[in-house]
Amino acid sequence: MTAVTERPGAAPPAATARQRGTLTGTGTLLRFMLRRDRVRLPAWVLGLTALWAYFANALGTIMDAESLSAMATMAANPVMALIGGPGYGFDDITVARLVAGFYALYLMLGAAFMSITTLSRHTRVEEQTGRAELVRANVLGRHAQLTAALIMAVVMNLLVAALIGVVTLGAAIDPPPEAGSSLLMGAGIGATGLAFAGIAAITTQLSAFSRAGSGIAGAVLGAAFVVRGIGDMSTAQDGGLGWLSWLSPLGWAQQTAPFTLDRWWPLLLSVALAVAGAGVGYALQARRDLAAGVLPDRLGAARAARWLRSPLALAYRLQRPSIIGWSVAMVLAGVTFGAFAEPMQEGAADMPEEIVAVMGGADGLLEGYLGFMGIYFALVVAAYVILSVQSLRGEEQGVRTEPVLATAVSRSSWLGSWTAVTAAGALWLLLLAGLGQGVGTLIGTGSGELFGPVVLGHAVHVAAAWLFLGLAVALYGLAPRLVGLVWIVFVYGTVLSLFGEMLEFDQAMLDTSPFQHIGQHPAETISWGAVGILTAVGALLVGAGAAGFRRRDLITA
Amino acid sequence: MSSTGPARGESPAIDISGVTKKYGKVTALDGLDLEVARGEVHGFLGPNGAGKSTTMRILLGILRHDSGTVRMLGGDPWSDAVALHRRLAYVPGDVELWPNLTGGEAIDLFARLRGGVDAAKRDELIERFDLDPRKKGRTYSKGNRQKVALISALASDVDLLLLDEPTAGLDPLMEVVFQECVREAKDAGVTVLLSSHILAQVEILADRISIIRKGTVVESGTLQDLRHLSRTTVTALTDKPLTELARRQGVHDLHAEGQQTRFEVDSEHLPAIMRDLAAHDVQALTATPPTLEQLLLRHYGDELRGDELGGDGPGGASTNGAGGNGSGKRRAGRARSTRNGAAS
Repeated sequence: MTAVTERPGAAPPAATARQRGTLTGTGTLLRFMLRRDRVRLPAWVLGLTALWAYFANALGTIMDAESLSAMATMAANPVMALIGGPGYGFDDITVARLVAGFYALYLMLGAAFMSITTLSRHTRVEEQTGRAELVRANVLGRHAQLTAALIMAVVMNLLVAALIGVVTLGAAIDPPPEAGSSLLMGAGIGATGLAFAGIAAITTQLSAFSRAGSGIAGAVLGAAFVVRGIGDMSTAQDGGLGWLSWLSPLGWAQQTAPFTLDRWWPLLLSVALAVAGAGVGYALQARRDLAAGVLPDRLGAARAARWLRSPLALAYRLQRPSIIGWSVAMVLAGVTFGAFAEPMQEGAADMPEEIVAVMGGADGLLEGYLGFMGIYFALVVAAYVILSVQSLRGEEQGVRTEPVLATAVSRSSWLGSWTAVTAAGALWLLLLAGLGQGVGTLIGTGSGELFGPVVLGHAVHVAAAWLFLGLAVALYGLAPRLVGLVWIVFVYGTVLSLFGEMLEFDQAMLDTSPFQHIGQHPAETISWGAVGILTAVGALLVGAGAAGFRRRDLITA
Repeated sequence: MSSTGPARGESPAIDISGVTKKYGKVTALDGLDLEVARGEVHGFLGPNGAGKSTTMRILLGILRHDSGTVRMLGGDPWSDAVALHRRLAYVPGDVELWPNLTGGEAIDLFARLRGGVDAAKRDELIERFDLDPRKKGRTYSKGNRQKVALISALASDVDLLLLDEPTAGLDPLMEVVFQECVREAKDAGVTVLLSSHILAQVEILADRISIIRKGTVVESGTLQDLRHLSRTTVTALTDKPLTELARRQGVHDLHAEGQQTRFEVDSEHLPAIMRDLAAHDVQALTATPPTLEQLLLRHYGDELRGDELGGDGPGGASTNGAGGNGSGKRRAGRARSTRNGAAS
């Protein structure tokens, strides 16, 4: 009451004062967040911009008219629609249209991750660590923290949008990009980031734990990717599922079709989702206690299960939640991609010959598609493997490895147990993906002929994932601070496997990718020699990592 | 005492000599010597950052020492780690648990990985420490995480307990339970190495005490040997200043200002001085046992203030053993600040 009467100017009604009260301190908090993120914020924004500048200028430099039209043929095929986009304007391709229609998707994923982690870091992580309580004890409104975090996400995405627009405009491509289209390009990426800030505003409220909240937001992002992928594949073949693309925030940004249709209005959907997400986030936050989730935390077992008595059992128990999550994703993605095999084959008659040739010829179209999906899932599983070794490092840094090694568990046995569970997990996940593909194909085509070969074709790619496991474990044992470097090898392998042929790298370079040698079964024969070599190298690397781990101090800071 | 019998059972439980450990340019241990006899409770006392945890982690084979020799239970802590760990249990001062495992699961798991859990003992300890074992690790407070590690350690059948500031975060009631448990373990023949930065806590339990400072043990012996370390600071408010007390045996550093007199007294002379005070119409009286900072300042020079303790004024205002600590490793126990007021 006194606060109201003391305020200069027109005395606002009590309701307004109360509302403003929930936001008190937002500005101070925002400045504090910017100060905390003085490295993180520019790193994200400039990192995304630099990646974009690379794509735009590199393609502008290497692409001549001939390779561009070859590329267009390639990029118009359904698998490329799946991992790229709807391909607007590809029938009259320019470098700008190629970049916008194919590579922009990955920048959108990046912007979405940026928003999700920003929201999580500045809201739920603060609450989880108890720091929010200290902050909230000061003159600070209930919604100040969420508001400041949202403003921060908006600022970051605006910066990304503007910088990408400018970089596109200045890219060395022919014909020179138009200003409006360039800005739309950036705006689409920024708007996707905004939409996921809205989604994260909801998911961070759900669980009391940041990992769970970010995990749910990540799952939404994954679903958004798959849904629009199926929609775009369908569009590429004049199928009936094109509307699916409109169910995904990634799809909205792609539907702006910069350099082709140049329509801004789909971004209204992104902004609306961001606003709605923030609104739901506020509503949920107003209904819960500080540091509590909307989802309740249940009591667990008072005693450990009988089997939980060895390092192997512990490693399994700790990795189980992640394996379950990945398993669900593998089955869902496998079945949906598999189910798409049939409509793709149907449309083959209408497809240009070049595309059919790329996919392995009219006879082998189905096999070519399914074989390629094996590589695709192997990449995903390689990411799982790297994340798993990084979480082993997290165990050590979080001082949870120390008490395990303080019992009668040797270092080799701990590292070996963790690695064994991850190695088995990788095989399991690829089997699930293969089974999903097989079932999906069976549903679509009504023929079980390819079922076995598809499962096998997926499973053998585990050798490539094991190589990554070996690399990560070797770094963990020998130079734990450098484990993250495996991602560079991963990105290298991914670029070569997914884009290598399109970018017309020569064969010697393509062969440096670990995913190159196993063979895309059932389209190609499996090279068991390659499987053996990759597995052996992986095992040797694990051995090197174990030897290093036996010799070094534990690092807890 | 170790020189008497070379027989296997008679070798010290822990025998560290001349151990050095460096982290880059920072020297954590600088020629540390420490001997813990079998069956004794050994207090390992030192300010934060003195090297207590580093010593514990070397004993666990989690860190490697750069030079010197370390023997524990007749083995080498680094190369015989697994065999030795079947015979010991460790409780750190900052227990981290897996967020999605319950406290009960963690208790069982640690004990089983050591070799087995005494289920009856476990249930009894859960009862005594008043812990709900069904909660997930991420929901426990610091004190409750500490209880999980303590229960798991105490429910294991081991020869040696390595306790590194094990009661940080426990409330005073639970600290009493902890003290009972350590006594029971000692009665059962278990050797205990108990590190702490609070003299009073170690005094209650330890047969012998070693004081570590800047990576070196500066004093080691029984409580009797270290009697000179335990001077009580007395502040009395009387009508007339008590300057004549300065002449009494066992009284040191007497300052009288107006009605307030402040002095230090050796513990053995404390009863006599208290009887004297009774005759003086005392209006207010506080008696404070020495803090570790005071001890170190008094006996080992005062140059460590600032670089090691980083605390407040010399021997004064700080009432607990917590110094600001460059390594930022552990927070000081909050339960202890109450102890000083209650000590006499």
